[in-house]
Amino acid sequence: MSIMLLAGCYSNNCPLENNVTCNYGFYDAEGTPIEYNDTITVSTLLPGYKTVYTYRKLGSQTVITDYQDKSLVKLGYTETISQQRQDTILLNKIHSTAEMKLPMSFFNTCDTLILSYRRISLKDTIKIEHTSYPYVELPECGTYRYHTLKAVTATDAAIDRIEIGNTQVNYEGEENVKIYFNGVVE
Amino acid sequence: MARKTIIHIIMVMAALMTWIQMAAQEPTTQPLMPGEAPKPTKYIAIEEEKEKLVFFQGFTLSVDAYGPAAYFLSDYGTAEAALRLNLKNTFFPIVEAGYGMCEKEDYNTKIACKVKAPYARLGLDINMLKDKFQDNRLYLGARYGISKFKYDIAGPAMSDPIWGGSESFSHKGIDCTSQWLELVVGIEVKIYKNFHMGWAVRYKSELSSTKNQLAKPSCIPGYGYTTNSTCWGGTYSLIFDLNWGKKKSHKRGLSIEVRDLQEYPQENENAESTHEEIVTEE
Repeated sequence: MSIMLLAGCYSNNCPLENNVTCNYGFYDAEGTPIEYNDTITVSTLLPGYKTVYTYRKLGSQTVITDYQDKSLVKLGYTETISQQRQDTILLNKIHSTAEMKLPMSFFNTCDTLILSYRRISLKDTIKIEHTSYPYVELPECGTYRYHTLKAVTATDAAIDRIEIGNTQVNYEGEENVKIYFNGVVE
Repeated sequence: MARKTIIHIIMVMAALMTWIQMAAQEPTTQPLMPGEAPKPTKYIAIEEEKEKLVFFQGFTLSVDAYGPAAYFLSDYGTAEAALRLNLKNTFFPIVEAGYGMCEKEDYNTKIACKVKAPYARLGLDINMLKDKFQDNRLYLGARYGISKFKYDIAGPAMSDPIWGGSESFSHKGIDCTSQWLELVVGIEVKIYKNFHMGWAVRYKSELSSTKNQLAKPSCIPGYGYTTNSTCWGGTYSLIFDLNWGKKKSHKRGLSIEVRDLQEYPQENENAESTHEEIVTEE
């Protein structure tokens, strides 16, 4: 009877986190863990280019669209057509946080992250070189994409320095990259 | 308590009566007179009531009927045979060997795993029944299992939801060696002459498996599914006793009683032949 009851309770060992993310921890310049108070938006560059239409008029606000707007030209705006790298927002306006979790590309060898801040106009660019490979823990859990970090670099608008904490990016949730921001917490 | 007291009284009375009877039958020994020769004696073997088991009781060969049935009813099955040594009807060193097959595809993820490979187990069963002379057995045992195998795994192509791109997922011939332990509880009963049948329940615990960067095997031949680090299994065995080297009857303990030939004149004629039988048995 007990065996039948036990057999009736089926559970698998699939991980609770079904997304593999690269985990970034925030530190001050001296290495103390901090909650970064500024608002951060993280976007990434995607493969390919997009056409951007920019409309300018003296005394009016500049309008940037990804489609052509002839009505603005009739209103006296000057149209400028340009090609820009495709991008997308990964994290939108996170605030007062000590870490962030970001996905990594499956098939690219280098990811470019752009960090925009609210308090400063400059942006930081983080480049992460890595390799990726598929992994199946159990067939019922599906296929995961794991990554191995090779190198990481960053610009210095708000970032003092950056380093790799753990090269293996999997669903264990360990901190992979340490970001040291300018300034010291007292 | 009262029942124990009654049994104790009965046993004491029985022992007393036996002693009185033996004392009545005991021949009186007279001291020898000068020049008198000792009387001829006769040695008679008497079987003691308690039998002693022969150490080596032969081999048993068994095949598992559950494994093939499981293969037709589920994704995983085995074909297995075992050779077991019977020591005093108590200890049973055993070697099990088989061929495990698993072809599994998950309904939701469409990931398929395929493995076919031999495996082996080594272990010991202990008959837990108090009466070791009967043919039925209740046993506890342990096994160490090992399998070296290659497995294939394949699934739908992987697509990157953000950066784009797609890649097929199919890998064949991934090497793996797995080891595990099993605890066994089972029974077996005599059906006809040397033919027994029995079933056993097994609790298995995976010790180690070769790690691969791409995947973990979803089945291990001889072990089963690796959904958890432990799993349950079972066997339904058809058992044949092979009496290689087994003595036909259990050896009985011998006691020697010395009797005066003159007091048993009717047995004098058979005295020599009885002595020869004892020598033969010993």
